[in-house]
Amino acid sequence: MRRRPFITRLTSKLISLFISLAILTPAIALGRTQKNMSTKIASVLLPNRSPLVTFRIQFMSGGAADPKGKEGVAALTAAMLAQGGTRTMTYEQFLEAMYPMATSFGWQIDKEMTVFTGTTHEDNLDKYYGLISQMLLDPGFRSDDFTRLKTDAVNFLKVSLRETNDEELGKEYLYNVIYDGHPYEHHNMGTVSSLGKLTVEDVRAFYKANYTQANTVLALAGGYPKTLPQRVETDFAKLPLGQANKAKFDAPKLASGMRIAIVKRETRATALSLGFPIKVTRADKDWPALAVVASYFGQHRSSNSYLYQRLREARGLNYGNYAYIEYFPRGMFQFTPDPNLGRSSQIFQIWIRPVTPENGHFVLRAALYEYDKLVREGMTKGAFEATREFLTKYNNILTQTQDAQLGYALDSRYYNIPDYVSYMREQLGKLTLEDVNNAIRKHLKSEAIRIVIITKDAEALRDAILSSRPSPITYNSPKPKEITDEDKVIETYKIKVNPEGVVIVPVEKVFE
Amino acid sequence: MRLIIILSLLICVPVMALAQQKSRKLFPYNYTTDDFPNGLRLITVPTDYPNLVALYIVVQTGSRNEVEPGKSGFAHFFEHMMFRGSENYTADQREAIFKRAGAETNAYTSDDRTVYHATFSKDDLDEIMKMEADRFIRLKYALPEFQTESLAVKGEYDKNSANPFSKLYEVLRETAFKTHTYSHTTMGYLKDIQDMPNQFEYSQEFFKRFYRPEYTTVVLVGDVTRAQALDLTKKYFGDWKRGDYVAKIPAEPKQTEPRKAHVDWPSPTLPIVAVAFRGPAYSDVDKDKMALDLLAQVGFGENSDLYQKLVLAEQKVDVLGPDFSNQMDPELFVVLARVKDPKDIDYVRDQILATFKRYSTELIPQDKLAATRSRLRYSFAMAMDSSNAIASTLAPFVSLRRTPETIDKLAELMETISPQDVSDIAARYFRDESRTIVTLAPQAKETAKNEVKERGK
Repeated sequence: MRRRPFITRLTSKLISLFISLAILTPAIALGRTQKNMSTKIASVLLPNRSPLVTFRIQFMSGGAADPKGKEGVAALTAAMLAQGGTRTMTYEQFLEAMYPMATSFGWQIDKEMTVFTGTTHEDNLDKYYGLISQMLLDPGFRSDDFTRLKTDAVNFLKVSLRETNDEELGKEYLYNVIYDGHPYEHHNMGTVSSLGKLTVEDVRAFYKANYTQANTVLALAGGYPKTLPQRVETDFAKLPLGQANKAKFDAPKLASGMRIAIVKRETRATALSLGFPIKVTRADKDWPALAVVASYFGQHRSSNSYLYQRLREARGLNYGNYAYIEYFPRGMFQFTPDPNLGRSSQIFQIWIRPVTPENGHFVLRAALYEYDKLVREGMTKGAFEATREFLTKYNNILTQTQDAQLGYALDSRYYNIPDYVSYMREQLGKLTLEDVNNAIRKHLKSEAIRIVIITKDAEALRDAILSSRPSPITYNSPKPKEITDEDKVIETYKIKVNPEGVVIVPVEKVFE
Repeated sequence: MRLIIILSLLICVPVMALAQQKSRKLFPYNYTTDDFPNGLRLITVPTDYPNLVALYIVVQTGSRNEVEPGKSGFAHFFEHMMFRGSENYTADQREAIFKRAGAETNAYTSDDRTVYHATFSKDDLDEIMKMEADRFIRLKYALPEFQTESLAVKGEYDKNSANPFSKLYEVLRETAFKTHTYSHTTMGYLKDIQDMPNQFEYSQEFFKRFYRPEYTTVVLVGDVTRAQALDLTKKYFGDWKRGDYVAKIPAEPKQTEPRKAHVDWPSPTLPIVAVAFRGPAYSDVDKDKMALDLLAQVGFGENSDLYQKLVLAEQKVDVLGPDFSNQMDPELFVVLARVKDPKDIDYVRDQILATFKRYSTELIPQDKLAATRSRLRYSFAMAMDSSNAIASTLAPFVSLRRTPETIDKLAELMETISPQDVSDIAARYFRDESRTIVTLAPQAKETAKNEVKERGK
């Protein structure tokens, strides 16, 4: 692609090893609500007449609940449930049973929630549900599964992230840096050293404490029989009652001033990620306004956003440039975000795709220049109206599949907002340019920007940044005067960082 | 239940489509095919998924068509150029129209095809068809944009370059194919990518050759009628002129000796083993490809004996699977494994080879074959859960045979294949002299350095 690029088929195999989820995105229409006090289990139901039945079984606990020193146990527990045997069946037997149905059981973990997902054809519903309910409710916690999945987790951090994918490495390490000392700090998969020490007993203990009725949300979509929700609820009432996990997390308090971490690695390109915490989540009244800003400035994998146009289309500096106000892992492999990554603290993030190392300094300046310009000037009326129109329609595309609708419904429940599509349509309709520009000034002005750069010659880049020397850019074709004039500003643009604010991190220390 | 949220609006209830899905056809939707005098084909698939339309324009050109030396990666680069404006729409105008439509739009290139796709509200169909036709018929870009875009392609190469599988694949293809254009990847060689800025004139030639109605199929799926689709296609694509170029794709001579290659990877990683045999092209008539597709699952899928042994029981491998695409010309049947410990590379390779040998002589049990057929059927049914997903599923088949009918023919063919067929066909293809093995591992010094670091922790 332009926009969808060339992704090797092998890469997708690698990803699927760890993230069996993925499906599509977003929202639904909420109708009436009911309460039944017989269990503590919550449900989200989306019945329709599709021959497919989709499950999203959510537990309101995730990586932020990892005990100190046991980082990764929440993820390993989820993996043991979805990719391990039960007390009566081995994982091999599960694969055998799933095989003719072409089904699987995926899991996804984030800081505050874990979700298990799968879709089956109605022909196979009983058999499929029997398998997955057994996996979640009667886990075997077998030692051979534990050894395999723990090694997978370590290799995910050591090989797949550190050594195979500079973009995801940069984006994930940025979260480590921003959430330093915060319960969100470590990668959801844990750290290499903590994983090494985990035992199957740690997994059992985590399961017992967190997989409770009070933490369970059962979500179903599709043409399932009317009796299914009750059946599922009755089965999941076997879980202990427990107390709902009410933990909410404040934004991290960062020391003022810019900090740059340059991760040194043997690689041919230079990848950049920039960000800082924001106090806005989907639950906040300013979220729709910031959603417009993020879409305008850097809609994910879209060619009509501002950063993309300036850095890629006008200058050919790389393959793409995007901005986010919510966690969006695995962005190079998918066009729409996975639902069920809800957080009580989010960051504003700019993702600059790899550039040639000789342009690294210039591109860092360009990203900061464009960010400062956004904060200084805000959006124009034309940009605001076009982006609002885009998002109003695009939300329907995000929610094309029943799985996406179900995922967005769960997220609306988490954030306590109405059905996402209709809520956004209504909010976007009411929004004004002034609201949006106020939101920019209020939420996107930061004196504590954190930057992560992955590159080979870390020392040279650090020295260049600290020297403040110009970083002139050359092109392989003539550029309009408007661009060359702007380049002159960018090539000497001040990067406000102190020498102690720039650190070089050997890649083997990342996620260690 | 503590809280029940009943979703009263049954949006997305594709009643008709669902009724169709209950049929036993692999492609269960009603569709129409219309051929235009200029060679263009239109396939319309109305569904009951409301409001949205998925437009896929499938061009039968890809890296397979890159016949001249030094032009690897060009079909993909050209795909990028298709976004740089046309006579009646500048690139900025295109972006503005897509933005206003709230469209999800993109394109991709593979060996055999280039696919341009967009999903958007049905209200915007007319304007988008008009704009899309303009770039297919009247593409227009200037040299500076061409040169700038070549840098974005280089950026794409750079971003992929961190992944060792990209390099492994490049070496595998150039080792296994010596004359056919499948010898290079769709991304192309770095040296050819670096030379792209100098190929402006060739790009215009490329457009004239392949962006022609006889190579193109317009696929419209969703909230659309045949009459609408026909009317818009005729109106906007009707004056597109047929071309006369036919690429002479060099046939790959028979391989006569086993081949191997090794990639030294400059940074730490887990070793990868790829074992490949020269396989058949796509066919919905001959049994060969379908039989080997079934074998790919039985022999190397996650329910195979080999997977259970290497991944689950012995835990020597963390990624294992077959890769065997439906291609216009004879394609490689590849099995890939990522090995956890470098000392197991030879063992894993030998286990894969033994599995190929095993199924060349041993019959697959009937029940396993039946389970695999079932798996393939349900895979199809479950993949098509939106108009976009239906169009996306169709696109590769449209690029091969220009009709959804080929999917149902394939399903019928699948039913005729016996365990004996699988074994006979495997024995014909999985011969030592048609084998290529490629391994990838960190360079020796890097491995040593990494071990020191590990010990130092």
